[in-house]
Amino acid sequence: MTMAASHPRHRLDELLQNPVRFSIVAALDRAGTLSFKEVRDAIEVTDSALSKQVSSLEAAGYLSVGKSFAGKMPRTSLTLTTQGRAAWRSHLATLREIAGDVS
Amino acid sequence: MDHTPTVTPTEARALLDHADRLSHSAHNATRWPYITFIVALGVATSMGTFAMALATGDAFGLAYVSLLAVMFALIIFFVISIQGRSAFARGRRWTTYIASWFVSYAIALSVVIWAHGNVLLAGLASGLVLLVSFVCAAREARS
Repeated sequence: MTMAASHPRHRLDELLQNPVRFSIVAALDRAGTLSFKEVRDAIEVTDSALSKQVSSLEAAGYLSVGKSFAGKMPRTSLTLTTQGRAAWRSHLATLREIAGDVS
Repeated sequence: MDHTPTVTPTEARALLDHADRLSHSAHNATRWPYITFIVALGVATSMGTFAMALATGDAFGLAYVSLLAVMFALIIFFVISIQGRSAFARGRRWTTYIASWFVSYAIALSVVIWAHGNVLLAGLASGLVLLVSFVCAAREARS
């Protein structure tokens, strides 16, 4: 029981284990802020699938969603928050730990 | 009962590789207008301030108007290129690049104003503008 609880996989962020959410945060990792369209094109998902997962990440405080207008066209931008970046770093560190855990 | 999904070392490595690739490709796809702009701005302002620091009379006017025209054209190119893009717009990195360029440009302009005709100072100040913009562009390209 103790061994199971200490396995690094328990430290993986539950929210980031979803493949689409994982990809959204990965896409934003270096750029910091991207438009909704840029993220959609980068991770190759539909608008509705992206919108659903963005809402989950926003509710968790991992992303902030900005709305603006370029002329009459609405623009949505996605920014990785400090909390989201910290969770991402921790998730990656755990994955690295698991990857190095050759048993 | 343990409901935590098991991630094998191979899967973890694959996820890490996927994250790295995605992060790079998303960044690469959006940053080229920024790198192009900072390089072009650096070259234009460096050459422009050098010409202005040494030229007199009509030649000075020509250098001054040409620099303004090039900067105006660059800004138009940049605004069109980044239309609909959000990358860097509110980024601390981008603000640092523009602030660094601005400081070096202000130094070059002060040479134009207070040390007009001094080849050494003009060369140093214009070289500084070029160096700063190239360092910023290189940093962005390698990030």
